[in-house]
Amino acid sequence: MTVAVYLPLLLGLPLALAAPWIAARGAPGPAAWALSLASAIAAACSTWSLALLALTMLDDVPPLAALDNHPALELPEPVPGPVAFMAALVLIGGAARLGIDAHRRVTTHRRLRAIGDARQQAEAGMVVADWETPMAVAIPGTARRRGHLLVTTGILRLLDAGERRVVLAHEHAHLVHRHHRLTATAAAAAALNPLLIPVRDAVAYLVERWADEDAAAEVGDRGVAARAVARAALAASGSPASAALGIDGGVVVRRVQALTQPAPTPHCRRLAIPVLLSVILLGVAAATTEAFVHLAQAWL
Amino acid sequence: MTTNDNRRPRGALEAAVMTALWAAQAPMSATEVQHELGGDLAYNTVQTILTRLHEKNAVQRRLDGRRHTYWPVVDAATAAAAQMKAALGERSDRHAVLQQFAASLDEADAALLRQVLAGTERRRR
Repeated sequence: MTVAVYLPLLLGLPLALAAPWIAARGAPGPAAWALSLASAIAAACSTWSLALLALTMLDDVPPLAALDNHPALELPEPVPGPVAFMAALVLIGGAARLGIDAHRRVTTHRRLRAIGDARQQAEAGMVVADWETPMAVAIPGTARRRGHLLVTTGILRLLDAGERRVVLAHEHAHLVHRHHRLTATAAAAAALNPLLIPVRDAVAYLVERWADEDAAAEVGDRGVAARAVARAALAASGSPASAALGIDGGVVVRRVQALTQPAPTPHCRRLAIPVLLSVILLGVAAATTEAFVHLAQAWL
Repeated sequence: MTTNDNRRPRGALEAAVMTALWAAQAPMSATEVQHELGGDLAYNTVQTILTRLHEKNAVQRRLDGRRHTYWPVVDAATAAAAQMKAALGERSDRHAVLQQFAASLDEADAALLRQVLAGTERRRR
């Protein structure tokens, strides 16, 4: 086994470094897709590398170990035992984080989906909760039902009619473009490979920007959209319930600033970075898989 | 006046009327709802939506003089709030998985946003 097997473990790093730069300019939609897919490929390839490294421990399994010590057979010692063991540990850690993240995502959405009666969700596409904390949430649909919005009276009473329309259009954009899939993919990738955490954050930011741009286009006024985001964030920051939110406020500031500027141009050339890295990763993964197969054949 | 009526689906119109009623905190007539929504819906459209919402028990109404005034039915929304608090309140990490409209801020960010807001308000006038 060559050094190539370690390469996918490191290639998440350039993606993570490029992600904030890619997210900062251009149309958010293509960037969200490119980064989400690239993070999935990077996580799949690094996980595959870890699995191959861990599998080299198989030569320590008793029947194979007996073969290994056979003096007549000259077997290569591909990966030092401790490295293979570490790879197995990292692999288990990633799987555990992935399980926790997926469970939390599914249960939270299920509990919020249970709020309000199904007819109201389907017909108005919206459930109102009489709660002063200003919140508006997009609840993704399932195979059988469409998604809907969950909004509190707190956010409705805070904003004027135009701003309320921005909120509804923003959350509606999340549902229409199935943003939860992109964020869930990037979050799963980051759970498997923590190097990809900046990519996950970039995707989370980009889908918000995407929904902001959709809302601004629907309302036809970027100023109203900027005000809606800014006022909702300012009000939310004062409430105790939101103090524990796990999202950093700088994101909201960047969203508002982007809305005070003209609508972004496509800027698709920067997406060459995630595409190129994905191609390299897949190539390396294919090469190491081939090397591993050769190795396995030598053992058996 | 009716240019937007065809573009927005029926559910979106119902949602817009409901949000206006919730925001008002006082009973509104169809004219007031129409005005609150920026006048881009025809009066008849608003009236039809309010009647439909009343038939669905989403809003209540009473006769004030010669016109009806409408306000939202609170029971379902109160129950929804209790469920929402139960679902979100106990575990702050649940917020992280949601696509919600706006998150918390630190003091420097809040100051920046107030500046931006002051800027857009000035431009509006």
